[in-house]
Amino acid sequence: MATEESTSDGLGRSTALRLQHLKGRLFEVALVAATLVGIVSLLALFAQISIDAFQPGSASPTWFLVYLGTLVAPTAAFTLYARRRPAVRETNAKAFAAVFGGLLLSFVTYAVVDSLSPYDVFTYVFFTSLPPAIVVAYDRTTDDRTFTGPAIPASIVVGLAVAALLYDVVRGPIGIAAEWIMYFGLVTVPAALLIGTLTASRRGRRSGVVAGGSVIVGGLAVAVASIVTGTNAAFPVVLFSAFVVPTGYVLWRSVRTDPEGRVGVAGPFVLLGGTLLGAAVVGQFGIQNPDTFLTPTLLLESWDGLRANNAGVYPQIVGSIIIVGFMAVLAFPVGIGAAIYLEEYAPDSGLRGRLATLLEINISNLAGVPSVVYGLLGLALFRRTLGFGTGIVFSAAGTLGLLILPIVIVSTQEALRAVPDALRQGSYGMGASRWQTLREVVLPEAIPGTLTGTILALARAIGETAPLVIIAVATTKYSPPSGLFSSATALPLQIFAASANAKPEFRHGVVPAAAVVLLILMLLMNATAIVIRNKYGREH
Amino acid sequence: MSESGTSPKIQTTIETGDEDRRDAPLDARETVIETRDLDVYYGNEQALDGVSMEINEHDVTALIGPSGCGKSTFLRCINRMNDMIDVCRVEGDVEFAGKNVYDDDVDPVALRRKIGIVFQKPNPFPKSIRDNVAYGLKIQGYDGDVDERVEESLKRAALWDEVSGQLDSSGLELSGGQQQRLCIARAIAPDPEVILMDEPTSALDPVAASKIEDLIDDLAEEYTVIIVTHNMQQAARISDRTAVFLTGGQLVEYDDTAKIFEDPEEQRVEDYITGKFG
Repeated sequence: MATEESTSDGLGRSTALRLQHLKGRLFEVALVAATLVGIVSLLALFAQISIDAFQPGSASPTWFLVYLGTLVAPTAAFTLYARRRPAVRETNAKAFAAVFGGLLLSFVTYAVVDSLSPYDVFTYVFFTSLPPAIVVAYDRTTDDRTFTGPAIPASIVVGLAVAALLYDVVRGPIGIAAEWIMYFGLVTVPAALLIGTLTASRRGRRSGVVAGGSVIVGGLAVAVASIVTGTNAAFPVVLFSAFVVPTGYVLWRSVRTDPEGRVGVAGPFVLLGGTLLGAAVVGQFGIQNPDTFLTPTLLLESWDGLRANNAGVYPQIVGSIIIVGFMAVLAFPVGIGAAIYLEEYAPDSGLRGRLATLLEINISNLAGVPSVVYGLLGLALFRRTLGFGTGIVFSAAGTLGLLILPIVIVSTQEALRAVPDALRQGSYGMGASRWQTLREVVLPEAIPGTLTGTILALARAIGETAPLVIIAVATTKYSPPSGLFSSATALPLQIFAASANAKPEFRHGVVPAAAVVLLILMLLMNATAIVIRNKYGREH
Repeated sequence: MSESGTSPKIQTTIETGDEDRRDAPLDARETVIETRDLDVYYGNEQALDGVSMEINEHDVTALIGPSGCGKSTFLRCINRMNDMIDVCRVEGDVEFAGKNVYDDDVDPVALRRKIGIVFQKPNPFPKSIRDNVAYGLKIQGYDGDVDERVEESLKRAALWDEVSGQLDSSGLELSGGQQQRLCIARAIAPDPEVILMDEPTSALDPVAASKIEDLIDDLAEEYTVIIVTHNMQQAARISDRTAVFLTGGQLVEYDDTAKIFEDPEEQRVEDYITGKFG
């Protein structure tokens, strides 16, 4: 309807329309404000923690100049160069993932295996991988493959049982071998098999055998070189097999397949080289470092409750990794399995359908139960009912596993629900059974979404403190857990304990530094999962 | 193969109010699918009401009718795709090669390997073109030369010339019409006996649709094709025989396509075909 202000053709802006526009603008401004409030307060919090952790004010201006020259300027130059060249950028991203992923894998593998005893880990891994390997080998040679699929998980369980039974007999003879041989078996042999298989699938069997063989020979050479020079061969072997070999393979392949982006390979090395060069220059000229608590001491030493400069959280870092890793082993198969049942198998109607609906509602509710309550559940289940020791790794992982189980189930269900029904129908229409449809069509499609959910679950679990307090995990411990039934320790607990320390340098120095470590740990986990997810996303 | 025990004549059952049945000799081809008094319910709602018809080998049989008349339900009963719907209940017989497919000893998985289906919306798997076509072979444990079968099926689906250089790229990168032909190639790769098509061209543009129509013509030489369509001209062009379903899930008339379109017995059918109703 035209008002008196409208132009004769009725297309001008009437008062009513102007008010409409104004309302729209105001709504938009309110939304922007809401967004900013959250982000800005988070940024302020992180800035506060980082400043406390790094203490940038205490460094000399020369220090900043040195790192500007060695690290910031080259990185910026490289980024500018890569920005216009998509091929370089893509290779750079790959190189980053490979280099830092490899480094991370090496450190985590070494730290975890070292604290759990390489001999024990080797014994169990050997016995649990041998039976499935035999099944796979049999599968290759026979035409009747009906039962080999289900036989693989069954054989793993059998292997685990055999390892537990024979542990006392086998552990003695294995203990005679040098430590590095365990790492060689745990890391170098799988790396060789992986590289061999990948090469064989691309360039034929012969090249595969040659590639795998050279990894083995390289690992042995590294071990011999370390022994000759008198250092412990264990870590060099791990670094070679889990960092040098996979990184070299990925970089070599990306350079070969995409020569245009080959400069991108340099990206991570610019960053690493700049940091090392800066540190060398600073050390050489005695330049004043920032008075930070984020030092190698913090990362590699154990706790000292009296002198802040001496306090380290290495046992807590390794403890957190072991707890979260074992938690993933416990919770993911159960959670994903439950989600698949509820989404793909459970009927919609009838008694069983109603039961399934009831289960689903309760699982959604469980996702919101406070973590303290899960702590009580863990205490009742693992300590009182099962009679496990106080605050051991198994209880901690089990409790956190129960905590994240609903999250895993719900997010996996969402991922499965997002797979279009047309694909299932298409598969059934081709004469596929339910299991074939699930394996060939539904699960591959649901993996990226499932991973997103498990990212969230991992990130939540690594920061959980309250349930660990309730099940009485030790706050301060001077060595990382040595097995699944030894007493656990976790980084957030140490942060919690240190925040009550009487000395201000703990509260204002060590606590933020450890918090940064915890955040980095969480971000690294997220990054790993995101890389895996993106890789899957691209392939499909 | 298709000894259904009935006379070689084809029954045309007209379920009208006064229930008149009559036999009309239509063709000497063998019956491959026969339904008897097929009732289908979704919960309390009846979707098919006493449908009896016989479908001939190597015919293209078109099922036409207004939306909600049960023609898709009928199609999905043939290879038991309706089993997936919890509330769906089927009564009566559907015989394929003389065997009631709803018997307890019939495995729907095995049945669907003999009776393939192509859906309304192209639904290639998010896999490579090769893997899409090889899917049926893979799940059935085919141990011959897969690549050869893939090529043969793509050629038969008139898609080979367009995709032969890009078998490893994703099936989702193809255009809608190509995707549908890919789905047809996928359906024929394991060499079924019957192909069901549920409005295969309704999501496609006219050019892509006409390619599929040509293809259906060729397919009928080797397969029995049953096609649900909303498009009257399409049914008239490609089918040998047409079944008209009207509301209430009743099969109203089933005869040679020419007869249905030129001189239908039923006034309702004539009204529907000429657009007065539906």
